[in-house]
Amino acid sequence: MNAIACHDGPFLPQMARILEVTAMTAREKFFRVALPAPLGHRPGQFVMLSLLGIGEAPISISCGPRDDNILEMVIRNAGSLTQVLHRLQPGQFVGVRGPFGSGFHLADFYGKDVVFIVGGLGLVPLRSLIQPILAQPDLFGHVTIISGCRTPAEELYREELQSWSRMGGERRPVTVIRLVDDTAHLPWDGRIGLVTAPIADLAMDPDRTLVALCGPPVMYKFAIMELTGRGIAHSHIFVDLERRMKCGIGQCGHCQINHLTCCQDGPVFRLDRIVDLQEALQ
Amino acid sequence: MRPFLLRRDELPNWIKHLARESQVYFPQRAGRSGFRFKQVREGSLIQLEHYRPTIVPPGKKLFPAEEILFRYQTMGDEIPVVTPVLDASKQILAGVRPCDLKGIDLMDRVHGEGVPNPHYLSRRTHTTIIACDCLYPCDDACFCDAVGSLGWRKNADVFLTALDDEILVESFSERGRTLVQRTALPVCDAVDSFKERVDVRRSKPFGRQFSVPLSQIGPIIAGQWSSPVWENHVQRCFSCGSCNLVCPTCYCFNVRDDFELSDGSSGGRTATWDGCMLPTFSIVAGGHDFRPLALARQRHRVKRKFQYLTQRFEEGAFCVGCGRCGRQCTANIDIFDIVNDLIQKVEG
Repeated sequence: MNAIACHDGPFLPQMARILEVTAMTAREKFFRVALPAPLGHRPGQFVMLSLLGIGEAPISISCGPRDDNILEMVIRNAGSLTQVLHRLQPGQFVGVRGPFGSGFHLADFYGKDVVFIVGGLGLVPLRSLIQPILAQPDLFGHVTIISGCRTPAEELYREELQSWSRMGGERRPVTVIRLVDDTAHLPWDGRIGLVTAPIADLAMDPDRTLVALCGPPVMYKFAIMELTGRGIAHSHIFVDLERRMKCGIGQCGHCQINHLTCCQDGPVFRLDRIVDLQEALQ
Repeated sequence: MRPFLLRRDELPNWIKHLARESQVYFPQRAGRSGFRFKQVREGSLIQLEHYRPTIVPPGKKLFPAEEILFRYQTMGDEIPVVTPVLDASKQILAGVRPCDLKGIDLMDRVHGEGVPNPHYLSRRTHTTIIACDCLYPCDDACFCDAVGSLGWRKNADVFLTALDDEILVESFSERGRTLVQRTALPVCDAVDSFKERVDVRRSKPFGRQFSVPLSQIGPIIAGQWSSPVWENHVQRCFSCGSCNLVCPTCYCFNVRDDFELSDGSSGGRTATWDGCMLPTFSIVAGGHDFRPLALARQRHRVKRKFQYLTQRFEEGAFCVGCGRCGRQCTANIDIFDIVNDLIQKVEG
């Protein structure tokens, strides 16, 4: 199902050296690390990131597939492990297992218009799909990125969002819509409102549009409602879900959604395959 | 190889003979009324007795409560060294009943299919199983026959069937044949008639039974998400997780890092049992909980045994009917009753 780049068993991490740590917001830091060998991942996959003696957590891969041994991640300071991670400096080591999960298959998107709807940290994993799609303009149609967060201070990858909006051309337009719930008295050059609001006005051909969604649990329900209203079939919607995970190999039981495991069958699911499963989306 | 016959009073000698060469675990008295799988010593009391199942199933000898995954050593600015830890010591699990035998087979599939778990598989490779038949239900809580465990023989290396003063000794694997051949036992010439006499003696019906065949239970449970049955049973639940700890087919785990306080530069990572009934089981970073209510967690547990895992592994049931969860439940909740009520609800 997925390539496990762990040579000595699935629980052994490879040691990766930190090359760069950059603060993105008050809570998020960007990490670029060098692995002993290329990760060989697909968009939407994740790694188990650890600090020896502290612990391990599932972390989204934020960069598109690449030939070198570089891995990019964005880590929110949200617990004891990530708190320590935030204190690390270039030159120090982190443990990496993976890549894990089904991820996205780029071929599914060939020739399609692609709409990304991301809330908060949701942009972090979907950047791994946005990058390869924008890098190959001949293979994909119109790209729309709707990215929302609470306040301007929490916006991730701002410069990249702005540069992506300039990557469009006549043959392959790119639309980037940036939103905040509240400007919080900060300067803001995007829109104000919920990430689901622009869906109603998008020019979409339901037959040739695929949508990738990632965000907080509450976002899925309303985004799916709006998309369904615009005639987008569930088979054209991909959701990237979050669950607690301890192993990445379908055994620890934490990420189980009915008969599926989020770490192996997901975290990217085509919506029609899980929409009828209880506990999948809420 | 043809089956042998062993006199019942010779069993202790054979088991103790095996125990001189490797670690042998056999159900023995512990405390006032209970039994547990204890290591066999010279003075151990070994008999195939009628007893209530051990609190902890024998399969947990393959999947201990704490499993060290690896040890590490950090070295200043150098790359830390990580060393895997695998247990490859030989052991024999003897006196394993069909329900527990099936439980081990299901765990072999869980840990062997997909991405193999090397820690489980290392122990499993070095484990021999001597199983034994049951002629009578162990107590009123047993329902092994209802979930297809009573006749389980697959994955036993040696299988014992005791009737009166004799024990029929069958070996189903090369490893089993080796264990048996080392003792000079008479060959059983009348295996069929022995087994016929066993079947006549066996209790009928054997333990509690559902009113529908096993093949219908999965679909019935799949169709009941908001049945009042869930609420009726969970009202008493403390979410203590006892049912998870004693279940032969519960295998969820957590992962924890430790470091040596003495040097600050070494330590290890350990997998520890976890349970889906515990309140914190499904909480993700940021605090969202996908199963905040005990009802949702209990429903998840029952559906895992009769719907989710059976679907994933194409098995009739992931519950082996040993009755342990009901016996150990601090609130007297019994998975048989839950499933039975769900069936009755449908039959209406």
